[in-house]
Amino acid sequence: MTAYGLLIDYEYCTNCGSCEVTCKEEHDYPVGKWGIRVLGDGPWAIDEDNWNWNWYPLPTDLCDLCAERTAKGREPACVHHCLANIISYGPVEELAKQLAEKPKQLLIVPQFMPRVAKGPFVPQERDDGHRAAHIEVKGTGKAAFGAHRHDSRVGEIDETDLDL
Amino acid sequence: MDYTPAAVVPLGTLAEKNDIGKPWRYEEDGLTVTRTSPWSPPGCHPVGCGLKLYVNDEGRLVRVEGDENHPVTQGRLCPRCLALKDYVYNPSRVLHPLRRDPKDRGKSDRWERISWDEAFELIKSEYERIVGTWGAESIVAFCGTGREGGTMSLYPTMVFGTPNMCYTQSGYACYTPRLAAVVYMTGCTYPEWDNAGALPGRWDDERYQLTEVLILWGKQPLYSNPDGFFGHSLIDAMRRGTRIISIDPRVNWLATRADLHLPLRAGTDTALGMAMLNIIIEEDLYDHDFVDYWCYGFDQLRERVAEMPPEKAAEICGLPAEKIYAAARMYATAKPAAIMWGLAVDQKTDGMQNGHVIIDLQAITGNLDRPGGQLLPGAGAGHNELGFGYAESIGDELMQKMIGLKEYPAYCNMILNAHADLMLEALETGEPYPLKMGFYMGNNLMSCTSQEPKRWHDAIVKSLEFCIGVDCFITPSIEASCDVFLPLATVAEREGTVYTHYAPCTVTAGFMHKAITVGEAYYSDMELAYELGKRLHPERFSQWANSHELVEHFRLGVQEHGEYFDKVSQCVVAQIPIDYYKYEKGLLRPDGQLGFATPTGRVELWASAFHTFGDDPLPYYLEPEFGPVNSPELMEKYPFILTTGARTPAFFHSEHRQIAYLRELHPDPIVEINPAVAKRLGITDGQWVRIYNMVGECVQKAQVSPIVDEHTIHAEHAWWFPEEDGSEPNLYGTFRSNINNLLPNGHFGKLGFGAPNKCLICNIEPATENYDTDMQNIWDTFGELVER
Repeated sequence: MTAYGLLIDYEYCTNCGSCEVTCKEEHDYPVGKWGIRVLGDGPWAIDEDNWNWNWYPLPTDLCDLCAERTAKGREPACVHHCLANIISYGPVEELAKQLAEKPKQLLIVPQFMPRVAKGPFVPQERDDGHRAAHIEVKGTGKAAFGAHRHDSRVGEIDETDLDL
Repeated sequence: MDYTPAAVVPLGTLAEKNDIGKPWRYEEDGLTVTRTSPWSPPGCHPVGCGLKLYVNDEGRLVRVEGDENHPVTQGRLCPRCLALKDYVYNPSRVLHPLRRDPKDRGKSDRWERISWDEAFELIKSEYERIVGTWGAESIVAFCGTGREGGTMSLYPTMVFGTPNMCYTQSGYACYTPRLAAVVYMTGCTYPEWDNAGALPGRWDDERYQLTEVLILWGKQPLYSNPDGFFGHSLIDAMRRGTRIISIDPRVNWLATRADLHLPLRAGTDTALGMAMLNIIIEEDLYDHDFVDYWCYGFDQLRERVAEMPPEKAAEICGLPAEKIYAAARMYATAKPAAIMWGLAVDQKTDGMQNGHVIIDLQAITGNLDRPGGQLLPGAGAGHNELGFGYAESIGDELMQKMIGLKEYPAYCNMILNAHADLMLEALETGEPYPLKMGFYMGNNLMSCTSQEPKRWHDAIVKSLEFCIGVDCFITPSIEASCDVFLPLATVAEREGTVYTHYAPCTVTAGFMHKAITVGEAYYSDMELAYELGKRLHPERFSQWANSHELVEHFRLGVQEHGEYFDKVSQCVVAQIPIDYYKYEKGLLRPDGQLGFATPTGRVELWASAFHTFGDDPLPYYLEPEFGPVNSPELMEKYPFILTTGARTPAFFHSEHRQIAYLRELHPDPIVEINPAVAKRLGITDGQWVRIYNMVGECVQKAQVSPIVDEHTIHAEHAWWFPEEDGSEPNLYGTFRSNINNLLPNGHFGKLGFGAPNKCLICNIEPATENYDTDMQNIWDTFGELVER
């Protein structure tokens, strides 16, 4: 199966919020839930003339890559509306080629509701066929403090030593 | 004008299945899709992006998308239009007319629903009473910013017949100081950066030259996107190779992508500009041909800027002199190069002079009307609403009564507005005559556009006997002072036109198409003006059979019973044909002559008009009145430079606080302080702080960040809290976080322009209260959209 993803040219993400809002409108996600989120690092000074300040639009666990839209041949809502036009959608193989063409890009393959995507627990048939058999055994006759101990304090339990 | 659908250049990210080439209205999956180009409301300084509105068979707007047919926006859309549905069906939107007894002003539970007829009758009787007793000049129409109705002179002139339209920002320190410079120096209205928006081939059009260097002067176009220009064009250009110089006290995001960032002391821009001119002239980097043939007063300018050596400016601005040299050389050697100037240019006492030096720079480097430089509006462009109705509705005698006209003719005659600061005094004192009636044209002055907003509040409530508010929501200003509320149709509910940047320097012309009707909010601004005007002054409005004809006449200058409008509006968005080097072709002046529409026919570096008005015809630097040089004793108490008003993408000025998805992007008013200052004052990131100075105080939430230096504090503007109690004295908390409480009136320049709104002083201290917005409360209050 072809994997699809988002290629994000974060050099030019301006934190305008369009991806966040259009995603909420598209999916009716309420306040507090997001399908994509812009996270930031900066500004902090590298030196006198250079600053690090990058915004990263990152799909969340509620990103379904706009399955309804893409099924109709449209691009995801964030791709369509991004003001800086920095988000591309497509097969990972094609996006990877574009990734190689320019620095400061991210290629991301999100997963919608990953815990749900794993599916419910289904027991696997892994019985090796071994069955318990009737075998006669003898007891040790005494309980001991601990097991697999080899120090000098190990010893059998003498009930008279215990203040029960 | 030939309105034909704009050429489409699809974005590379567009899917194969798209809507390119679709008509203005079509069906898709059981929904009716209306393509439109919005102005307002919600507020936007007309950009006229491309929108697709999806409406179901019950007439409900269910989806909003960006229209990929638009030549500039190409399907992209900002969060405010993406959340349009939440604005249209917001539970706090008011959808029918209201009245309230004037004695109950400020009581949010005393509004009574009335019919449109009752509203019109009440307005008519109060209007006639007040005009009969006090004269039409006793009416003030409060201008706003951005909205279609906000600056629509039709309201004050033809509807009310008053000379007193008034934008209440001190010194009209928004756009107008810049406008004064360009109007009086070049005879044009706005030299916009040429982003190839009007060219069918866009960036690859054969007539276009990619801008090599772009200076952003007190402007962050990405977030001030609604200022008549699609800001992210800048990103398009940068990705093609355009280099940036940023002039801004803050390390805004674009400054981190710039080749040069000049973080000057707020308010010292004019000194910087003079020094750059000095360098360009002394190092012979200017365009001799353009200066020789098309400029007037170059030698006087040379002499003047010789008084501002770069080393002197470096000291004034707090910049290394080398950076000033580097910026001047980079700008002057690039071809083409452009300067985008922002609101910061206006918001100082020498705002007009700051505009002056920027025009000088654009002119002497030969970048005026050059492809990829500064696009100039041609003779046919214009602010077709400014000036409309004055002659026939007001006349000379009444016009002479405009507040401030005698004192500040350069201001009042240019923008056809009463002088803001003098209007405040007139409201307070009743001199030169009493003001009795008010009309909010799309303005929330108590939250946003006024300095000392409580002073304006008191003056309005005391002076005005009858006040009308026109809006989609009850704003603090309306709650405090209005007696009648008229609900306004949003962009989804109206027809009309939208020209980028109002009309000066038009790139695209767009048409609004009505997709839905909601409640009784039937009317657009023009339709409301028609309905009101027909009742108050039928003699002026009988020439139009209906509002549709008025829109056609007013906006398109044609009278074909609306048929022309209906025909051309189907293009949705048209590119306006442009030409370059228009001064060589007789295309800049109304008289068709070559050159510029100035007394000398040239760009007046020595401005005859300023001289005529009694000001210095050459640019000069005014040290900020409040600051280390002029008020050192005050700075002992208020040791920080206060700059205000940087935009956020979530809101248009005071709008959108009740839109849950947008508020979530930016829940609280933010003040930026440097980490060293925070440490010294014991302020932690996210803590609420009290900001105060000799004028007033407010509280905002601290963001500790090196985005500002240790001398500077930046605070946001236009905050109110629609989730709170609207009644007096709280008024939706409009005075609590209002940075304008700290901004004075009355500090404008010689011709009346400018205000120090971005270069004041303040102190700051930690607050013990926590006013954090509870987003769950916002969602509970505004998240559930209303069935209409």
